[in-house]
Amino acid sequence: MPVFFGYRDSVSAREDFRRLLGTDRVLDDPLERHIYAKDASLMRGNPDLIVFPKTTEEVAAIVEIANRHSIPVVPRGAGTGLTAGASPVNGGVVVALTTMNDIELDIANQAAWVGPGVINLDLSRQTKQFGLHFAPDPSSQSACTIGGNLANNSGGPHCLAEGSTTSHVLGMEFVSAAGEILRVGGLAPDPTGLDLRGLLVGSEGTLGIATRILVRLLPLPEDVRTLLLDFPSVEAAARTVSDVIAAGMVPAALEIMDQRMVVAVENWLGGGLPVDAAAVLLAEVVGSTASVESEAAAISQIGTMNGCGTVVVASDETERNLLWKGRKSAFGAVAQLAPDYYLHDTVVPRTRLVEAMTGVYEIADRYRLTMLNVFHAGDGNLHPLIAFDSSDLEVAAKVRQAGDDIVALCLGMGGALSGEHGVGVEKRDLMPHSFSALDLDAQARVKDVFDPEHRLNPSKILPSGSRCFDFGGVRREVPEGAWV
Amino acid sequence: MGVSVLGDLETRIEGAPDGLHLAPRTIDDVSGILRLATEKGTAVRVWGGGTHQRYGMEPSPGIVMSMASLNQVETWEPDDLTLVAGGGAGVADIENLLSTRQQTALLPETPGEGSLGGVIATGRSSLKRARMLGTRERVLEVTAVTGDGRVVRSGGRVVKNVSGYDLHRAMVGAFGSLGVIVSVCLKLWPVPPDAATIRLTDIGSSSSSNRPLALLETKAGIDLFVWGTRSEVEAVVDGSGGEATPGLHWPADPVGEFRWSLRIPPASVGGAIELVQPWDFLAVHGVGELRLASNSVEPATEIRHWAESLGGALVLVDHPGAEPPIDPWGTPPMTAEYQRRLVAEFDPARIINPNRLPGGI
Repeated sequence: MPVFFGYRDSVSAREDFRRLLGTDRVLDDPLERHIYAKDASLMRGNPDLIVFPKTTEEVAAIVEIANRHSIPVVPRGAGTGLTAGASPVNGGVVVALTTMNDIELDIANQAAWVGPGVINLDLSRQTKQFGLHFAPDPSSQSACTIGGNLANNSGGPHCLAEGSTTSHVLGMEFVSAAGEILRVGGLAPDPTGLDLRGLLVGSEGTLGIATRILVRLLPLPEDVRTLLLDFPSVEAAARTVSDVIAAGMVPAALEIMDQRMVVAVENWLGGGLPVDAAAVLLAEVVGSTASVESEAAAISQIGTMNGCGTVVVASDETERNLLWKGRKSAFGAVAQLAPDYYLHDTVVPRTRLVEAMTGVYEIADRYRLTMLNVFHAGDGNLHPLIAFDSSDLEVAAKVRQAGDDIVALCLGMGGALSGEHGVGVEKRDLMPHSFSALDLDAQARVKDVFDPEHRLNPSKILPSGSRCFDFGGVRREVPEGAWV
Repeated sequence: MGVSVLGDLETRIEGAPDGLHLAPRTIDDVSGILRLATEKGTAVRVWGGGTHQRYGMEPSPGIVMSMASLNQVETWEPDDLTLVAGGGAGVADIENLLSTRQQTALLPETPGEGSLGGVIATGRSSLKRARMLGTRERVLEVTAVTGDGRVVRSGGRVVKNVSGYDLHRAMVGAFGSLGVIVSVCLKLWPVPPDAATIRLTDIGSSSSSNRPLALLETKAGIDLFVWGTRSEVEAVVDGSGGEATPGLHWPADPVGEFRWSLRIPPASVGGAIELVQPWDFLAVHGVGELRLASNSVEPATEIRHWAESLGGALVLVDHPGAEPPIDPWGTPPMTAEYQRRLVAEFDPARIINPNRLPGGI
């Protein structure tokens, strides 16, 4: 019999959840609790229960029960997050939103109301017949949910031109920490009063639980050109990206993979990638046929000036899909090299890409770690990936230190702590490196307004003591595997 | 800040209501003025270019604070497509500067004397927003001074950032209630080499462009705006069957004693145009925004009722009298109580533009 660790009246709480949802939608056996203890990061929490609501009203009732029993509430999508944002580090009830996956299309308004459990790629698949798509396309888009995208303000390769999730959420219905059902935004632009959408998107479930999301759909591009350029050095590829932006172009995507990553992908995919090149640049331009041809030619020319060997242009949709499959499955391909990987997510100004990449490799060399790079170069969004075996504690310690050094390097260049993965627990205690005490205090005030009891996804985003008083009330456990 | 220093900052702001007029020269000055105003419980009307001072309810009389001296462009990184400027920087000045390198911040096209901080505080957007999205999506970082004088920064000077709560996005359209905007980092965009404005005979002809820069309708007609490479622009012009003029020729905002902002779902713009026929209008197709002007308040109530039934709003932006003749905002949002509490955290004595927001916040 599992025991609610530390929360009073645990048996009674479990019974309340079962009365609400039935026994099938309330899980508490050790295996399930083990599975839901973590997301795709390396940190593990310890959930007491996992519940599966189907409606907004059920989510509101779950929050009310949790409030009554003083239990933390941790919303969760597909669990593909990389910062332990969905890891129940204070225990409590995990609210798995994957069964709330209705899609209600509004083609006339180029929008859709979707449940938080809708898988990102499923939405674009459904809207393709209407010539529309959902622009944010994280690498995990075949598994991650729109609710998770909203929580983390997820990006993806095509956010270079179209912006991250926050630019594509028009409104949402959400359940507050008090259990109210509220709505912000809508189809009409510029909601009156404070536009709370910007606060809620990217808040990692700490301000409310989104139960229905109104997303913007964009027309599919008229035409597209996808190019693969190979380079004799990562710096040459990065310089090409900087030069393309400086030349006044904002392509749909500009992605770099270094040689080690290309080899890993090619071993798995067998797509004919140039494994001898030090780096490849995957560039995509969209628009009218006339514009994509001229932009593709300009990118090729800039690449050649920077030492590009070969430019391959995808000749059809099949070839294009193969190139993108290689890019988006890169992280999975790393399993060939080591049982674990640690994926970083930092941002630098695009003018400092070359310098940043040089510094990142120096850090890997300093600690003698196996590093691979695949990243959104056009945004200056780096994803250094360190492949390692976490059972070797000495190596694991080096990985942690290298991670901190990478963050310090990027912040020192005027960069950001995270570009698209969020803060969660992983980067929570690094926030003071990015923000002043007053900046953090301002953010803590936002949390206090929406969730004064710190019931929703506690211990995420903000380090303890962000306000002049400590958060109090919630135990701040150090999760198993926590690095910061 | 002592009284003598305050005296140094005293000025005369043309067109501003009576009261103590101050022109802070630095962020510290802004902080000092606000801290003092909070201690005294004195309202502070923030003055950018003075173009939208009648937007929302009239704030209580008190200090008028001009942001004109905080008008410097701090950094411009053309190769990174970012710019940092003071809240008092003129929108026209910024766009003129950027045009020297064929870049734009996608700020409103006809800003007049409008300031960067004012555009963000009032949440006004470019007419290009159907294609390029609104002002909220251009703001990467904001530094603001809270009512009690705290200097607070949100966001960062990079184009992608998910570090914490995006207060800078909430500050767009907040009328300074979360802090007086003193510095802003904007995401820029390259201006393509060619552009055209095409007068269409009917709205259906707009389909010659998959994603036009703008599709606008006024009483004068329907105009399709397109930019891109020469061949791209020519292809749209040829496909439209309309009469094209090189360049982008933006219509002026409608003129009248009363100016309004109608916000409705994009697909309802056609219905809105029929409903607002007594008034002058500029409709932004694909967005659901109509800028309206009238010499009478009638039939605002009917239009507002219709807009709110669609989840939208009719907002009074400008009016001739001392006080607005009707509630400028209409029905307050259902999150009004959260908004009130949030504002209280950032402006505890509620001195910055008090009453501007819906629900008397």
